[in-house]
Amino acid sequence: MCPPEHFGVLYEINPWMHREVAVDLDRARDQWGELVATLVEAGAEVELLEPQPGLPDLVFTANAGTVNNGRYVASRFRHPHRQPEVDHDVAWFEAHGFEVVALPEGIGHEGAGDALPFRGVFLSGYRSRSDAGAHGPLSALLGAPVRPIELVDERLYHLDLTFCPLDDRRALVAPHAWDSYGRKVVEALVPEPFVLTDDEMLAFCANSVVVGRTAVMPACPPRIGRQLESWGFDVVVVAVDEFLKAGGGCRCLTLALDVAVPAAAPTRGARPPSSETGAAR
Amino acid sequence: MSASEVVEVEGHIIDSLILAKVLDVIVDAGAEYRMFDVSIGRTNVDPSRARIEITAPDDDALAALVAQLQIHGANRVAQVDAVTEAAEVDGVLPEGFYATTNLPTQVRMGGHWVDVDNPEMDCALVVGPDGRVLTVPMHRVHAGDPVVVGRDGVRVQPLDRPRGANPFEFMSSEVSSEKPKEQLVARVAERIRAAKAGGGKVLAVCGPAVIHTGAGPDVADLVRAGVIDVLFAGNGFATHDIESNVLGTSLGVPLGDGLPPEGAHSNHLRVINEIRRRGSIAGAVADGYLTGGVMFECVQHGVPFVLGGSVRDDGPLPDVLTDVVEAADAMRAQLPGVTIALMLASTLHAIATGNVLPAGVETYCVDINQAVVTKLADRGSHQALGIVTDVGLFLSTLARHLVP
Repeated sequence: MCPPEHFGVLYEINPWMHREVAVDLDRARDQWGELVATLVEAGAEVELLEPQPGLPDLVFTANAGTVNNGRYVASRFRHPHRQPEVDHDVAWFEAHGFEVVALPEGIGHEGAGDALPFRGVFLSGYRSRSDAGAHGPLSALLGAPVRPIELVDERLYHLDLTFCPLDDRRALVAPHAWDSYGRKVVEALVPEPFVLTDDEMLAFCANSVVVGRTAVMPACPPRIGRQLESWGFDVVVVAVDEFLKAGGGCRCLTLALDVAVPAAAPTRGARPPSSETGAAR
Repeated sequence: MSASEVVEVEGHIIDSLILAKVLDVIVDAGAEYRMFDVSIGRTNVDPSRARIEITAPDDDALAALVAQLQIHGANRVAQVDAVTEAAEVDGVLPEGFYATTNLPTQVRMGGHWVDVDNPEMDCALVVGPDGRVLTVPMHRVHAGDPVVVGRDGVRVQPLDRPRGANPFEFMSSEVSSEKPKEQLVARVAERIRAAKAGGGKVLAVCGPAVIHTGAGPDVADLVRAGVIDVLFAGNGFATHDIESNVLGTSLGVPLGDGLPPEGAHSNHLRVINEIRRRGSIAGAVADGYLTGGVMFECVQHGVPFVLGGSVRDDGPLPDVLTDVVEAADAMRAQLPGVTIALMLASTLHAIATGNVLPAGVETYCVDINQAVVTKLADRGSHQALGIVTDVGLFLSTLARHLVP
């Protein structure tokens, strides 16, 4: 995670961002601190990335890259505003013993924000930010199958706003944000989906972090809370509304470093390590 | 003008339904696709790959479609125009010239695929000043002609092999002497009727055995009835046809009782001599020397014929083209519109014809000798049926079906 010292809405690259809406930086610091404390209490270890002036979105570490089995695939951002983040991300991963690899030139992919592991497969969002053509090279670099899902709602520009793995059978899903093929792919992959309403998905309910059996969510209407509790999850809501001004929620503020999708995982039946859905170590 | 492009998709395109989506997008855009070079991953971890050729109604539609497909990760595979090099000398091709097949061929120029006008095997491709592409045999290339070199920007379309229970069902390259001939001939007759109904021409390539076996009158009937539109043969066939009509013998053998009278071995020479006296076969028809037979009917009904010469020819008849290059060119000139070729007891002329025919022409090879039929059927004709039988019996049955 990256402290929000330099966070702000300095440009507009998604429908949520409006430069005239000021970020209350003190409040942002408090909310971010609360999120860290909640994750740690749930059992996560948190590593920090040093914030950089002029890079307000560095705080959204979900987009730093995609991690699997100690290997880190650097992101390649669509918008020039975020492209300078990559050098800082790469430096961190090199310094922390990860194997750092890059996608071929000219292919864009925005990291874990658009690549979520579930049942031995990475689902990868494309169209808004990441390129569909990235999924082949990404698969080769991650050593795991990658299935691209087309995102059709510009407000939900990253996959992690539409899909939240809970455990090895369950996930929060927002099918309205996907095209019909993507819906079929998710339907075939997720044995027990919980379908979010439009309001729920626009409240960033899917942008949650699951650590063990704790779901840390930016919002949780009673309908979702009851379902998660019946599945054995503790739900903790952490207000991150300062960050919603930039179009990011709890999940966007984190990057899971302990993802371990096995190289030759069968698509169905196998039980991937439960830490796969964890936020951080 | 329709436009086409090749795109490639790679990765987990099956499980992610990307391939299905890409194909749907193509069809929804009113374009057509052809998949080739498809490799499907062995397990769900292995990536799959497909190359897809898209044909859209025009350039704009294609550009819009390609842009749309790029969103889904299907990227253009770089395609290049064909490269040409000017021939330096008449009759000599540039080194590395593209050698043709007899299959339908297209050449990419200025980003467009242009159909080759006249597919023929073992030729070169020359781009005309009007942008048309022609197959040209080596000897007809002129200095300065732009000749296609290398394989870039050239593609060949395999012919679809006819399948299932349709009129083509009996067609195959298989040759067998153990097939019911009456049925085969009836089906050939059906195919000829269908071809003629579609405006196609029928070419007959005849060997001397057609006359020796007594089938001359049947072929004459087929010419008179308008079934045969073009005739290719040699000095022998024409000579024996004329001999049998003027003197009643074929190579000295009377077609009536089959017993050769004394001195009849020179009959064909005397006939050739008389035709030479009259300048041409048409001349012999004009002055009443020749009053029947295949050549007579050809002259009477304006059916074009090409008589190709050979080293052992007697005479030859004045109509025989003794320059083989000229003869082959004359044969080529008669091919446009031909959709059915009947190779009738002819080995050398049939092979020569097979060399200049496009692959799509339905070809029926009839010979008593299985080896000849096999050789002809194997010479690259993709729609060839070999019929091992006596050509005389074949033709009399065919005439019974087709001559009113």
